[in-house]
Amino acid sequence: MSGFRHGEGRLGDATLNFTFDGKPMLARAGDTVASALLANGVEVVGRSFKYHRPRGVTSSGPEETGALVTIGAGGKADPNARATMEPITKGLEVFSQNCFPSPKFDLMSVNGLAGAILPGSLFSAGFYYKTFMWPAALWYKFYEPSIRAAAGMGVPPKVADPDIYDRVQSFCDVAVVGGGSAGLSAALSAAQSGLRVVLFDEHNDLGGQLLNEANSEANADLEQWRADAVAALKAASNVKVLTRTVCWGRFDGNMLAAHESVDGKVRQNYHKVQAKKIIIAAGAIERPLVFGNNDKPNVMLASGARRMLNHYGTATGKTLAVFTNNDSAYQTAFDYADAGIKVSAVVDSRQYPSQALVDGCKSRGITLFTQCVVTEAKGWQAVRSIEIADLAANGQSVSNRRRVSCDVLAHSGGWTPQVQMAAHGGKPPLYDKKIAAFVVGDQAPDTYSVGAAEGENGLLAGVAQALHAAKAACGELGKEAGPIIQPPQDRDGATNIVPLWSVPAKGKQLVDIQHDVTAADVVQSHQEGFISVEHLKRYTTLGMANDQGRTSNVNALAIMAQCRGISIAEAGTTRFRAPLAPVSMGGFGGREIGKHFKPVRRTPMQEWHEKAGAVFVQAGMYLRPQYYPKAGETIDDAYERETEHVRKKVGICDVTSLGKIEIVGPDAAEFLDRVYINMFSTLKVGKARYGVMLREDGIVYDDGTTSRFAEDRFFMTTTTAKAGPVMAYLERCLEIDWPDLKVRVSSVSERWGAMAVAGPDARATLTAAFPSVDFSNEAFPFMGVVHAEHNGAKMVILRISFSGEMAYEVYAESDHATDIWQTIIDAGQVHDIVPYGLETLGALRIEKGHVTGAELDGRVTLGDVHMDGMASKKKWFVGKNLKDREGLVHPDRPQLVGLKSVDPRTPISTGSILVTDANASAGADKQGWVSSMTYSPELGNFIALGFLRGGKDRIGERIYAAYPVKGRTVEVEVVSNHFVDPTNERVKG
Amino acid sequence: MIRINCPYCGEREHSEFTYGEDATRTTPDNDAPMEEWNKFVYERDNPAGEHIEYWHHAFGCRAWLKVQRNTFTHDISWVGLPHENPEAES
Ligand SMILES: [Zn+2]
Repeated sequence: MSGFRHGEGRLGDATLNFTFDGKPMLARAGDTVASALLANGVEVVGRSFKYHRPRGVTSSGPEETGALVTIGAGGKADPNARATMEPITKGLEVFSQNCFPSPKFDLMSVNGLAGAILPGSLFSAGFYYKTFMWPAALWYKFYEPSIRAAAGMGVPPKVADPDIYDRVQSFCDVAVVGGGSAGLSAALSAAQSGLRVVLFDEHNDLGGQLLNEANSEANADLEQWRADAVAALKAASNVKVLTRTVCWGRFDGNMLAAHESVDGKVRQNYHKVQAKKIIIAAGAIERPLVFGNNDKPNVMLASGARRMLNHYGTATGKTLAVFTNNDSAYQTAFDYADAGIKVSAVVDSRQYPSQALVDGCKSRGITLFTQCVVTEAKGWQAVRSIEIADLAANGQSVSNRRRVSCDVLAHSGGWTPQVQMAAHGGKPPLYDKKIAAFVVGDQAPDTYSVGAAEGENGLLAGVAQALHAAKAACGELGKEAGPIIQPPQDRDGATNIVPLWSVPAKGKQLVDIQHDVTAADVVQSHQEGFISVEHLKRYTTLGMANDQGRTSNVNALAIMAQCRGISIAEAGTTRFRAPLAPVSMGGFGGREIGKHFKPVRRTPMQEWHEKAGAVFVQAGMYLRPQYYPKAGETIDDAYERETEHVRKKVGICDVTSLGKIEIVGPDAAEFLDRVYINMFSTLKVGKARYGVMLREDGIVYDDGTTSRFAEDRFFMTTTTAKAGPVMAYLERCLEIDWPDLKVRVSSVSERWGAMAVAGPDARATLTAAFPSVDFSNEAFPFMGVVHAEHNGAKMVILRISFSGEMAYEVYAESDHATDIWQTIIDAGQVHDIVPYGLETLGALRIEKGHVTGAELDGRVTLGDVHMDGMASKKKWFVGKNLKDREGLVHPDRPQLVGLKSVDPRTPISTGSILVTDANASAGADKQGWVSSMTYSPELGNFIALGFLRGGKDRIGERIYAAYPVKGRTVEVEVVSNHFVDPTNERVKG
Repeated sequence: MIRINCPYCGEREHSEFTYGEDATRTTPDNDAPMEEWNKFVYERDNPAGEHIEYWHHAFGCRAWLKVQRNTFTHDISWVGLPHENPEAES
């Protein structure tokens, strides 16, 4: 227990109840989870990722590495939330993570001991890579379960998230990322141009580093400037201020992606903002120093400790010590001392801090140790003292170790400009020796980095940069940015840093605190040859936790550069990629989840099918009846019954999902001659023809039936799967390849409901249904086309067959399709007409040996499916030039065959490989595969279509269909793919 | 997010479009030798920089468009109809 309420900060008086691991606690409105936990004296908030070391609050911002908690319970639980970024709301439930049984006492922390005793073993650099090389048996039995139990952070909820997430697409002229003094100034100035401005800030309160300043009499004018600026922006009608909104990526065309947390019906908005100009004022974050046990609870970044006191009215401890290599941390010591809190030491690794700082310490009675370092933070759970020592001039050794007591250690290793966003849009950042950090190199187009994000920490200097950027951005958009009232005070930005990348000391020195990567791991990575920064990252997992290396990157690169004896600039950085902060998946999904994930297409007869008890299956985007079970029937019972019935009597099937395209114009026939392998210009009006299309490379693309309605008007059907692609392809051909052809194509897929009526009684059924149509063989022969009307509904009837039976396809205007369907059902009652689903459709076509998408899988040639004879020799068509290439006409190519299981009741699995050896193992001579299978009631046998090397020459041979995944091998006989009515008598009957 | 200025519809997000193909190739004559067709179908340049491509405004006006896109930066510098060409850089 060390933190406590101290002063007002900027919070109000209102109090809120919340719980931490079930324990009731009190917070003030405006608190974050972190500030509230500290104010309640909580030191250990959770346990670390690998070593289960106790962790506490380390900052007051997005760079938080220690206090990761789960917010909320059940489906609303949000694991790995940064306590510093989560506002306390009434009744909020907060849970510690990765602790068993409690954060203070954790059984797993033995991992930390093992790591200390056996450096380079459990969880050290390269752990994952090395583990995977150990015996596989051990992996499953031991490592995997124990790693799962030991490593990790929060637990994802097991139930669905009940909250709503939205996506918001918007446009703006100038986007300002970051609402500190520079961002506020840039937005205010740009807003006066009248342009549309969006300001993003991930915090609840705007002001950035201004919120670190004491809310005191001396700063009243500065605080007023901040308040005025915020008020002016919120009042401006052309400015959208998005707080609690993390802008996490910049994409092509200046698109900014941001997640906004909102309190209301919607939990988060995912913003996609299209910006003309982008001003990046994302600020800088403080880096930790690397010393022994620098991850111990109550070791905090100096700026974080300062904001806790000055903004949240929460002192982080009763006795503060400061460890720094630059000027900025002194202000934390001064503010704590001025607030009446004991400051036991300022430990500065530099030899000569400025006289002003020395005097500042002296006047407040603070002991200043120069050329000194903290070697180790000490204390069982949290800091109770520090060990300090004199640093040798060469920085390589320490001497004269002694203890200083404190219960919070605020440290600063310098400042890291937030260059990620700028780097997303352009070139890698460059190392700036003066501030010992990377800054933006070349600015990406339309982008301006300003203020601390550009390495300028001075208040007025940063504002000046912001105004300059606003002027330039607005100017390029033809408008003029306006003047603003300057901040009434300045803050010197010079940190006078002397880099101190790691302290020569014992104890675990964490570089990446979130991912438990130590300085020793970086050294080991170097020793094992993983010396490039990209390798270092992957070998040690450095920077891969949810802070994405914000705090750890520079330190790790510097340590690696030291190992290699090169400069940091030469070592370079890893590539920055979005997202730069953790973001929820919910936002990406928006409302397109569950049944709204993708549209469901229903045919006009959907309700009829539902009433008939159909079982549906998703076929592409369509919901289609799979089968219509009678009471007690299994799927096999049902489709076998339906199939048998169609062959004996008559059935009706919804085939609306077929693609339908009208092709109109004087050159329509010529157009079809080019896209189909066979002739369509010779097709007579009132007739239909089966057609096949090839791709340019000579592989079969799609098939279907095209009818000629008039000299210049054709009606094409495509397969369900290719309906969209074929339409786009025909448009492409006409617009790009043959703009001279006078042809228009339009998709009429939605206009027509379609139904196939098949079986020996099909003619009688349709004659009864539509007495005005002459269905006689003479008037309406096979492949004939008739236009008809029934009760005012237009119909097109094609006499075509996919089943081998006498069959018709009836196309009826969608609005009337159910009436037409019902009319056919009524007329078919005397023939016991049955509806049949996709299973029976498949069974019938397999029995007949017709191919579908399962066979025409994008690898098959005309010859493979015995259609080479269809290709016209009298004309050119797409694919003609390449279809006869050596490999495509090779005699060894697998060809379409029928397969019959030798034991009639043994099914043949689709996807089986065809082999000649019953005991074929891996590496066997694979001679083909099974593409589709069914039970054939007509043959009383399981049958299949497949592709077999040598194909039709092997009819009569017995081979095996092997399905090694399920250890199943079936003996099959090779037969013709035309199982039923090979001479095509029935369709013409 | 790439945005494409469709000559018919105006500037739209690229999710309304589908990429078609390289627009710098010339289709061989119907009776051109197999080698030429083979080259046409299989050989592509893969330039880092300006490239001309066909895009389909599939979820818009359904026009096929010619688009000049920088494959390195994704900047789109010109959009036209299939028979048009960007003017040479001056
Ligand atoms: Zn368009």
